[in-house]
Amino acid sequence: MEPLLEVAHLRVRFKTKSAVKALIEKDKDPYIDGVMGVSFAIEPGRTYGLVGESGSGKTTVARAIMGLVPVHSGTIRFNGENLVGLSRDRIKPFRRDIALMFQDPAGSLSPRLKIRSILAEPFRIHGMMPENLSVEVARLLKMVNLSPSMGDLYPHQLSGGQARRVGVARALALSPKLIIADEPTAGLDVSVQGEILNLMAQLQNDMGLSFLIITHNLAVVRHVSDHVAIMYLGRFLEQGPTQTVFHHMRHPYTQALLSAHASPDPDAVHHRISISGEIPGLVSRPQGCEFHTRCPGVREKCRRQFPPREDAGKDHRYYCHYPLSVPEN
Amino acid sequence: MAEPVLDIRNLSVNYLTPRGTVKALRRINLQVPSAKVVGLVGESGCGKSTLISAVIRLMAENARVAAGEIRFTGKDMQQLSSRDLRAIRGRDMSMVFQDPMTALNPVFTVGRQMKDIQYRDAVSGKEKLKRASDMLSLVGIPDAVSRLDNYPHHFSGGMRQRITIAMALLVQPKLLIADEPTTALDATLEVQIIRLLKDLQADFQCAILFISHHLNVIAELCDFVGVMYAGELVEKGSVRDIFHRPGHPYTRALLECDPSVIAEPTRFLPTIPGEIPSLIDLPEGCIFHDRCPGAAQVCKNTPPPEVSLAEHHTAACHCLEV
Repeated sequence: MEPLLEVAHLRVRFKTKSAVKALIEKDKDPYIDGVMGVSFAIEPGRTYGLVGESGSGKTTVARAIMGLVPVHSGTIRFNGENLVGLSRDRIKPFRRDIALMFQDPAGSLSPRLKIRSILAEPFRIHGMMPENLSVEVARLLKMVNLSPSMGDLYPHQLSGGQARRVGVARALALSPKLIIADEPTAGLDVSVQGEILNLMAQLQNDMGLSFLIITHNLAVVRHVSDHVAIMYLGRFLEQGPTQTVFHHMRHPYTQALLSAHASPDPDAVHHRISISGEIPGLVSRPQGCEFHTRCPGVREKCRRQFPPREDAGKDHRYYCHYPLSVPEN
Repeated sequence: MAEPVLDIRNLSVNYLTPRGTVKALRRINLQVPSAKVVGLVGESGCGKSTLISAVIRLMAENARVAAGEIRFTGKDMQQLSSRDLRAIRGRDMSMVFQDPMTALNPVFTVGRQMKDIQYRDAVSGKEKLKRASDMLSLVGIPDAVSRLDNYPHHFSGGMRQRITIAMALLVQPKLLIADEPTTALDATLEVQIIRLLKDLQADFQCAILFISHHLNVIAELCDFVGVMYAGELVEKGSVRDIFHRPGHPYTRALLECDPSVIAEPTRFLPTIPGEIPSLIDLPEGCIFHDRCPGAAQVCKNTPPPEVSLAEHHTAACHCLEV
């Protein structure tokens, strides 16, 4: 099937100093790399999971797709059309088709607006005011299983789960084709987390929506996404169909992340692949394979050169000189 | 069993608000034995933080202890003067907070802060700094001596949480209270911090009261677990009893909801339908009855009894009575 969104060799760089300062300091490359050439595609009606620790560049990828950060190189094709380099006016229509669900549900709702006004904003911004706004607001609230009377409340009167639902309703306002959900379950209790994810799955079934879910919660990704990419310092170290990546992972970082999400069993013998240290900053990007500073299986070659891309099967790729062996069966 | 370090008996705490009295904690009985780790789980609004603030006696102004007592190493915390309390807090009882970014003072060096918290000890400043650097290396901060001169912003999130743990243990407390110490950290760091706490607890032999909503962390670290719901301790027992033989329907539902427990990938995850009841107008009967799949008539009008399921394992539920 023709993908809805196709990102190829996306690279995002951020300037670290002014041109004058760079000239004075004779710094020929006053940039840091936020995203180092990632490629992936989302088919209509599918969910893509983007997993990584803080500072790995997940949100930057999302912002690049929305045209909120300048893209250095690469292409972002939405329905076949390249969004990179489009002017503000030309990109605006695409923003109707791509909606964002923000990370902090309460913080992303203006405290001074009633829910009804918050839900009307997308229509206003895109000059698409419906004839009967209150009917439209009631319809959106109903879609996310909230009562229409909630339109009269202010955000502080909502619980965390309800605020999250309003975030979903706002994303749905202009009937988008793709929703980018940044940490849709962060800060929610497990019982409420399921409600939000089930709502998203329901909407996907009913409306054929595609999702790009950004999260650090692997347990969630395993259930909701069809494909998954493991991100580290701006690169996809491993990507592929969720089942393949979870059961036949080849990259040691994937294995370490997975083992950090053991199931709660006091008697389980934890075969935890402990990785030491923390994700290095983008400014001090390590030479060679970026993961070598924390990798339990690091060897000389890893310190010198970044590994080439390896294809392990349909859509399954990774970057590692010494990949994990494929488990039997 | 020897006398517990912390003994909470029949504790009830109310908040006085303009809308009415919020009965935030009701009849809590919890013991923390010495050198053991007791975990508290529960969702937002269940009263975990109110319980801690009652234990360290740092309650909000509108909070009132309505009944019950808290005994710490045999002393009744309610009867102590604020002077006596100050002598306990930060020496016999210390705390690790959720957010390592705000727990440290940004305008003083880490060394200065670690030295200052030893103000009670009559040793030289040099000795105090030595202790501080020793402690920092113990929690896994490389090059500890020179890093004492760094400010908190020089450290990453995981490092800062290590520093707050080092500071909490520097005073060799009898009880360490850890309020969601890993929630703000990434998964790989969470593993490191839990390992660290486990090792240090074995060395220092202090008791830990550990609050978290990450079930896998509780399962790995704790000896005993208490499950809280809407201001009540609905079940408590050894970690194995709670995770392998949960009695209370709420505990069972909570365990089933955790997506990491569900082996087969599924699009639709289990949830606990309904919401936490209002703590101003408490429902009659069992607090969980309107969300409980097995609620009977008796659950709606009679509070459930405390049913003993095994040694140290109790749950408050009508349906468990034999």
